[in-house]
Formats: sequence, C-alpha cells, structure tokens
Amino acid sequence: MITSLTALPTVFSIGLQRQLAYRWNYLLRALFSAMPLLVSWVFWSAVFQGKETVGPYTLASLLTYYAVLLVVESVSSPADDDFQISREIREGTLNSILLRPLPYGLYRGALFLSGRCAYLVAALIPLALSFFLLSRVIPLQLGSLDLARGIPALLGSALLQFSLTLCLSLTSFWLLDISALIFLVYSLEFLAGGHVFPLDLLPPTLFQFAQLLPFAYEYWFPAATLCGSISHSAWLFGISMQSGWALFFILLAHFLWQAGLRKYTAAGG
Amino acid sequence: MRPFFHLLRLWLIQLRYAATRELAFRANFFVWVIVELSWFVLQLAFVDVVYQHVDSIAGWSRPQMIVLVATNQLIQQIFTAFLMPGLVKLPELVRDGKLDFVLLKPAPPQFLISTSQLEIGPLANALIAIVVVVFALQELHITPSLPSILLYGLLIVAGLLTHYALLLALVSLTFWIVQAESVLLGYYSIFQVARLPREAATGWFRIFFTFALPLLLVANIPAATLLHGFQIGPILLFLLTCLTAALFASLFFRIGLRRYQSASS
Repeated sequence: MITSLTALPTVFSIGLQRQLAYRWNYLLRALFSAMPLLVSWVFWSAVFQGKETVGPYTLASLLTYYAVLLVVESVSSPADDDFQISREIREGTLNSILLRPLPYGLYRGALFLSGRCAYLVAALIPLALSFFLLSRVIPLQLGSLDLARGIPALLGSALLQFSLTLCLSLTSFWLLDISALIFLVYSLEFLAGGHVFPLDLLPPTLFQFAQLLPFAYEYWFPAATLCGSISHSAWLFGISMQSGWALFFILLAHFLWQAGLRKYTAAGG
Repeated sequence: MRPFFHLLRLWLIQLRYAATRELAFRANFFVWVIVELSWFVLQLAFVDVVYQHVDSIAGWSRPQMIVLVATNQLIQQIFTAFLMPGLVKLPELVRDGKLDFVLLKPAPPQFLISTSQLEIGPLANALIAIVVVVFALQELHITPSLPSILLYGLLIVAGLLTHYALLLALVSLTFWIVQAESVLLGYYSIFQVARLPREAATGWFRIFFTFALPLLLVANIPAATLLHGFQIGPILLFLLTCLTAALFASLFFRIGLRRYQSASS
C-alpha cells in the first residue's frame, strides 16, 4: 500500500501534463465560467431595484456569494472525470489500470487533483479580472472572507463531489450510457446545491430539507461559509453532514467497485 | 428554388434515418425527456423562489416571466432536437479526420453537418414548454389572436437561427483548437442571457447583447409579442440582427473549413 502511494505524485504529474496539452480548451472553459456572474449581476440588479434586501441578502452580499461560488466550483467540481471513468470501463482501457499495483480510487483521486490544479491556474486570470470589474460597480465583500472555516468546507466539498462522481461513473459497469444519469444529478446539484440561488432564499421548510441532502454541501455550504454568513453551530452541523455524506459515497463507491469488478469482462488486447 | 427543394428533400431523408436510429433506443428517449424536464423545472423553481421576495422584475410579473422562460425553453428544445446534435459532433469529426466523408458528398458541408442528427426527446419537452406558455397566458387572462400566434411562430424560427449562428461560430473554433469540447459549455453559459428580461439589462451589456449578439431578443421578442401584441421596431431589429449573426457565423465556418487538413492517411 505504502509503495503504491509513492506512485501518486507521478500520476498527478501525468494528469497535469494531460490537462495542459489541451490548454486552449481549458482557457475557453475558464473564460466562459465568468459568464454566470455577469448574468447574475444584471438579473439581481433588476430584482433589487427599489429594494435594500432580498431575504437575508443585500445586492453586494448576494453577488459576493455568486463570485465565491465560482471559486468553489473551480476548486471542487470535477470536469469530465465522470465521462473519463465511464469510457475506461466501457472501452476496456481499465485493463491496463487494473494491472497496476495502485488502488483505482486513489489513482482517479490524483487525476482529479491534477485537473483541479490545472483548471484553477487557467481560471485565475479570468476570475480575478471579472471580480475586479464587478467590484468597480458593486462593492464585493471579498476582503472579509472567513478562510479559517471556509477552507475545510471547500476541501470537504471537493472530497464529496469527487466521491459522488466516482459512484455515478462506476454505474458504467451496468449501464451502457451514463450521461443521462449524470445530467440528472447535475440538475439536482444546481437546484438543491445552491448553484442557481443561495439556499437560504428558499422558504424555511424547504431550506431545512435541502440541508439534509448531500447537494447543499457541494456548493452552498462552502460558499456561504466563506462569505461568513453561517453561525459557528451551523458550521459544525454542516461540516459533520458534509463529512458524513462524503464517507457514505466513498463506502458506496468501494461497494460499487467490488461488485462491478465481479461483472467486468476484459476483452481485447 | 430547385436547390432549396433538393436540400429540403435531403434533410427529410436525414431526419428519417436519424429518427429510425433514435427509436432503436426507446428507454433512452424517456430518460432524456426526464433529464431535460428537470432542467426546465429548475428554471421555473428559480422564478418561483425569486418572486416569493418581489412582485415584479424589470416590469415583468411572475406569469409574464414564466412566458419568457418557457419561450426560451421552447426555442432551446427545438434547436436541441434538430440542429444542435449535428453541430456538436463537428470537433470530433475534425479531430478524427472523419470530416473527409462529409466533404466528399455532393451537398454543402455546413448543411450536412447541421442536419445529420436528430434527438426526439427534446420535442416532447418543447410541447411541455408550449403547455406552460398556455397556462401562464391563462393566468394573465390573455388570449392571443391568430396573427399573434403566427408571428410568435416566425419569431421562434428567428430565435432558432440565433442559437444556430452562435453554436456554429463556437464549434467552428475547432478548426483552430484541437480539443474544443468546452465550446458547448460556452454556448450554455452565454445563452443564460436569453432568459433575462430585456428591460433588466442596461448600458454596454444591453447594447452588446442586442446589436452584436442578439441574445436579449431571442426569447424576449416572441414573448413580448404574445404578451403585448405586434411591435414593428423590435421585431424588425430582431430579424435583421439574427440574419446578420447567421451570415457571419457561416462565413466564419467557411474560413475555418479552409484550414481543415485530414487527420487520416
């Protein structure tokens, strides 16, 4: 096990090189990622016309939430790891990985990390530029981010999103095409994860229900924590829920992997 | 007129072939209807949540906003059914050199690429979008006249042309960039603008997305036609800008095509 762990930096480096081979693709992706912030600014400015607050938010605090959300997404959201894993299983390229003395979850984890690092580097300039331009119009509250509590929540979100992605991808052992399943979960993540709007704008009952689901801990929880809009007791509850869901999906991924391997047939050379 | 009918016949043949292929996977059809529907529900839920806090956004009431969002969904779904599946295959065709087979056929390559695929699932969602528009109009006590409905149909076609122009321009980047899969993300990101009420936008944003890239007109003008009746100025502007965008996109595709070098031996 220890010997196989020493291979992880190499896997990380290979993953990084693979990502940077298509740097234009990455740069385009990063450029387009700032678009939702621009749309949010226009839309919410119209919503706030003649109003100081909407729910617990002022226009500045709401746009800060959306800006932070972009950072959370850059750090923690898998790019196309799900489709890569699915292809490896479907096309049989998994064979060569199975022969290596390296647990598959750790192998994919290292590639996920390299992907996030490459994306973060590519997204840094467009994000910084859009934050700078937006802060000239709206006083974004990016200077007072709660990093001490926000970074653990951010890392927890990355672990949760990776483990959920792993579970979804491993269904490729049984399903021919998983894209529909992935897009269905995307839509749930967007709505119940606080991607479209902060969850505390929901009616109280729905908000409480959303906090029981894993999606809230993918986007809303780390973003709201970084923005400093979560009390300490709510943060403790959130971090426990986030860890609990991440652990659940890691165990589920382990079970799916074991069951899938029993079904997997390696064909071809 | 003959070339037009020739292309129309070709399109119908391609559609029949693509439909046969699609219907071989019936379960897939139902699954995708649910997936696309979930994204539509997401947009409606967003509208609902926001209108729990305000009565009007840029002069648009809740049912009016639903007409806008559902009109946008209608255009998006028709586009996803007929034109988008073929266009998004272009990066792969270029990378693998399979574009050779398209170029060898005796028909315009842009036409063949755009019409080669069909997805039936989105058509079911387009029907759902129409039902939502009808319910929202009922809530507003509006019964559109026949000319208004026909004009709405024409403006939906203009909206489709705008979607087509933007995605064609984006996928044409593949002639310069090896892996251009991100353009699809770009398309979805940019088209979020189409769901905004036009009156919400101001300054350079409004100018750019009205005259340069007419996304603020795509769903707004058809929706406004149903809600407020015939308005000659905005309609003419929309038709003019969408035609210009389509011409520019087609030109960009041709320039890119000149750079194409087959990947195979």
